[in-house]
Amino acid sequence: MSSIYYYLAGFLFCTGLLGTIFKKDLISILLCLELMMGGVSLLTVLFSRSTGVLESQLLVFFMLIVSACEVAIGLSLIIALYRKKQTIYTDDIKIITE
Amino acid sequence: MISDIFLTIITMVFALMVVFSKKTVVSAFALLMTMLSIAMIYFQLGTVFLAAIQVLINAGAIAVLFIFVMMLINLEQFQNNREKGKVKLVISAITILIILGVFALIINNNIEVLAVNNIADNSMLLMFDKLFHVYYLPFEMATVLLLAALVACVVITGHEKNAKVELEGDKHE
Repeated sequence: MSSIYYYLAGFLFCTGLLGTIFKKDLISILLCLELMMGGVSLLTVLFSRSTGVLESQLLVFFMLIVSACEVAIGLSLIIALYRKKQTIYTDDIKIITE
Repeated sequence: MISDIFLTIITMVFALMVVFSKKTVVSAFALLMTMLSIAMIYFQLGTVFLAAIQVLINAGAIAVLFIFVMMLINLEQFQNNREKGKVKLVISAITILIILGVFALIINNNIEVLAVNNIADNSMLLMFDKLFHVYYLPFEMATVLLLAALVACVVITGHEKNAKVELEGDKHE
């Protein structure tokens, strides 16, 4: 019955992807990336439970560390951008094209 | 079995709230609740250590960091007059549905392989044995990565010298 969690992991990943495409401010995009990360780690834990390989749980442990680094650097980039441009909306940021 | 369905529904509702709520603060709190319910699922699956780590790092540190940054940059002042791209939403929703269908197809075709086996009770002991003997170097490298992220945050958000001069100039005026 816990195979329902596989569907949940796919659902979490796809919902996060939808938000990443659709949302317009950078903080929400980062939130949705975290959601995708949650789905992927849930899937990895489920694989560890179904195959009995303990390395998958260690992989989730390392994924948590990497996602913590990602959030910290992403948020500090957002703060630096806000200081420079006074906005965090993706429509207002045209660093490459202008 | 009922708890599985209950946890799944709770997680799905909060995940949808993250994406579809209009205020970013509400999204951040919904993300916190999503992470907590994923931690409950980890408990349900028997991976107790990962559940504790999930509560501590993802729900405790990361969600609070998000809310802190939101308070720092004052989002509410320009949140009202934003139009929504409906065509973009429809196209991305169709894409997501196709990806979800592929997921469902894969899961349905491998349903016997994916059944949950029971790992022995000393799985945590074995895991830490592996972590500190076989995977000792990656563990140390992870600490180096965290230190690098810390330094990067300080460098990125630190004031430049010119900005400091401008601020002081504003004060004198």
